[in-house]
Amino acid sequence: MTSPVISLNALSKSYGRFDAVRDLTFDINPGTIFGFVGANGAGKTTTMRMLCGLTRPTRGSATIAGADVWRKRHIVRSKFGYVAQRFSLYRDLTVAENFRFFAGAHRMSPRQVEPRIKHVLSLIDLETKRDAPAGSLSGGMRQLLSLGCAIIHDPPLLFLDEPTSGLDPVHRQQIWDLLYNFSHRGVTIFVTTHYMDEAERCTEVGFLARGSLLAKATPRSLIHSFRVRLLELYIEPIMSALVELRNAPGVLGVSLRSGRLRIYSADPEGLLESWRSQWPFPDLHLKGERWVEPDMEDVFNAYSQGYDAMIGPTS
Amino acid sequence: MKRISLRAVASVARKEFLHIVRDRRVLVLLLILPPLFTLIFGYAFETGEPTNVPALLINRDQTERTQRFVGLALKNKTFAWKIAPPETQNEGDLIGRHVQAALVIPAGWSETLSNGDPKPLPFYVDGSDTNTADALTGSLQRSLGEFQLGERQVMIDSLPEEVFELGKKLPVEVRKQFTSAMSQWEVKPEILYNPKSRFIDYVTPGIIGLILQLLTVTLMACTIARERESGTLYQLMVTSLRRSEIVLGKIVPYLAISALIILIILLLIAFHFEVKLISPLVLAVVCLLFLLCSLGLGLLISAISRTQTQAIQFSVFFLLPVFVLSGAFAPLEHLPAFIQGVAEIFPLTHFCRAFRLVNLYQAGPSFYGIDLVVMLLGAIITFVGAAVLLKRIEQ
Repeated sequence: MTSPVISLNALSKSYGRFDAVRDLTFDINPGTIFGFVGANGAGKTTTMRMLCGLTRPTRGSATIAGADVWRKRHIVRSKFGYVAQRFSLYRDLTVAENFRFFAGAHRMSPRQVEPRIKHVLSLIDLETKRDAPAGSLSGGMRQLLSLGCAIIHDPPLLFLDEPTSGLDPVHRQQIWDLLYNFSHRGVTIFVTTHYMDEAERCTEVGFLARGSLLAKATPRSLIHSFRVRLLELYIEPIMSALVELRNAPGVLGVSLRSGRLRIYSADPEGLLESWRSQWPFPDLHLKGERWVEPDMEDVFNAYSQGYDAMIGPTS
Repeated sequence: MKRISLRAVASVARKEFLHIVRDRRVLVLLLILPPLFTLIFGYAFETGEPTNVPALLINRDQTERTQRFVGLALKNKTFAWKIAPPETQNEGDLIGRHVQAALVIPAGWSETLSNGDPKPLPFYVDGSDTNTADALTGSLQRSLGEFQLGERQVMIDSLPEEVFELGKKLPVEVRKQFTSAMSQWEVKPEILYNPKSRFIDYVTPGIIGLILQLLTVTLMACTIARERESGTLYQLMVTSLRRSEIVLGKIVPYLAISALIILIILLLIAFHFEVKLISPLVLAVVCLLFLLCSLGLGLLISAISRTQTQAIQFSVFFLLPVFVLSGAFAPLEHLPAFIQGVAEIFPLTHFCRAFRLVNLYQAGPSFYGIDLVVMLLGAIITFVGAAVLLKRIEQ
């Protein structure tokens, strides 16, 4: 059994009376791609900033490779790279100058720096932009550059705060390919995301809601934690159906998927049975129905909306 | 133990230097403005005395004797006289006639100079700024004194022979007393420390200090605030850089550029305005300490500002009283004691004083040492303060 790279022990952060993060306790093992998922304001960024030693925990503690992330933050910082949510590199400096600065800031010896910059440039496919000001790059290239700067000192751990938000699918794919590449070489990755298809690509997912960890498991076991199948209805007109069904008794929630309404309910079979015997919506026409398997988005909806009755324990 | 890595400091300094070089507007500001300001201020303050002050002369006493006085007055470089007709009314309306002073020679004035009851000349003078009235009155008084001396000679020359005969009969002591009483009693000023009385020699540290204070404080104040605004401060914080390395790395390029600016200004002042610079090495130390203190202040402002806008606002609020109260352009001793006490907290005050003690008074270290110590303390306090404040934002 390997010892965990990151270990959280009742890690908490309060701003006044507001508990942004409450009693997070979990471990992340080496080589994991840990996807940290939660709604906006759930506490993902606060948690990440505590782990990076940027914010002091109110209570509890966390360690990276055994060293306390706050008290030993100067030592810990050489062991990870951090990609912030906002683009936060020097726009007036060129790509190579940004690299050189962060290499120097990490005390890399001058002999190592240039070969390393060359290697990272080829990794992120920005060789042609080497002497372009960072501010002139497109959003996708900026994000690749941020990632490049975060790994310039070849850290064994990488924090990424919503690295793909606002990117086109091609650059999203490119970023994820790089993350897989790093993971393959043993780098542990801690990434927050809003995208459920990205959460599905992680080896492990943690769900955060209102500062508390609701679940932490592999994507597969999270999906399997659903107790029930999901009912999808084809109803016309669909928009009024969305509104009316949401308020119907027995319905926890409704989401619109590819022209069909996916019903969240603790007992979908019973619900469908009762609707078949007595259709309660005179203005809506039921055109069809089918049963589907839940995916990560359903897991996210269930956890973030608190549809506890639908979910069982994760294996 | 925490050790400062030269490599880390150098990487911050290089980055900071690139920021300056890449920002064309700031670069132009840094290279063009200081020499330009020096020239402007230099010409503005080259002579301290007022010259060619527009003034009105109303002569209602058209006698030969009065003409002699008018001739002397016209030679006085302080005034640019406009001769007004004798019938001019309402002499005190200076602003309406676009003059700063008006001299009236009343009818029969020359008569009063001979009849034992000399009348004073009405002189209307603009006292809105407190220095001008005294300077103008003094200058006119000197012309009048010159005139009186000349007239006395004329009077003595034209005395009838009997008077001299009569005088010879007087006892020697009385004659001597009379002669002494007749000659002008005067002080013989021995002007020390600035023998040519050139204001530019006095105001040199003011010019340097003003420009450098403005540049260093505002530029430095923006550096950390800019990083905070653009989010790069967090990126800095997650590197292995220590606060002291960030602070040092940010100081170095600004210190180098400020030193270069001071050199340019001093060369301009020394060669163009011919101000003699005594012991350049000591002056260099004075300048260096002043720069460190100013940069420290900028850094402190930077650390308490959330945005660059705030940093500029704080800088302006700080710099305003400094410019007025630091004694850069006027002697501090003219201010009330309480205000002098306030002025002691400004680095510019100590810089100007130390610079003048070295360059004008040619005084020894025992005179300006205290000012150097205060500036050094100021630098240390502001640097440590900035580092502590930076620590606070980590949490």
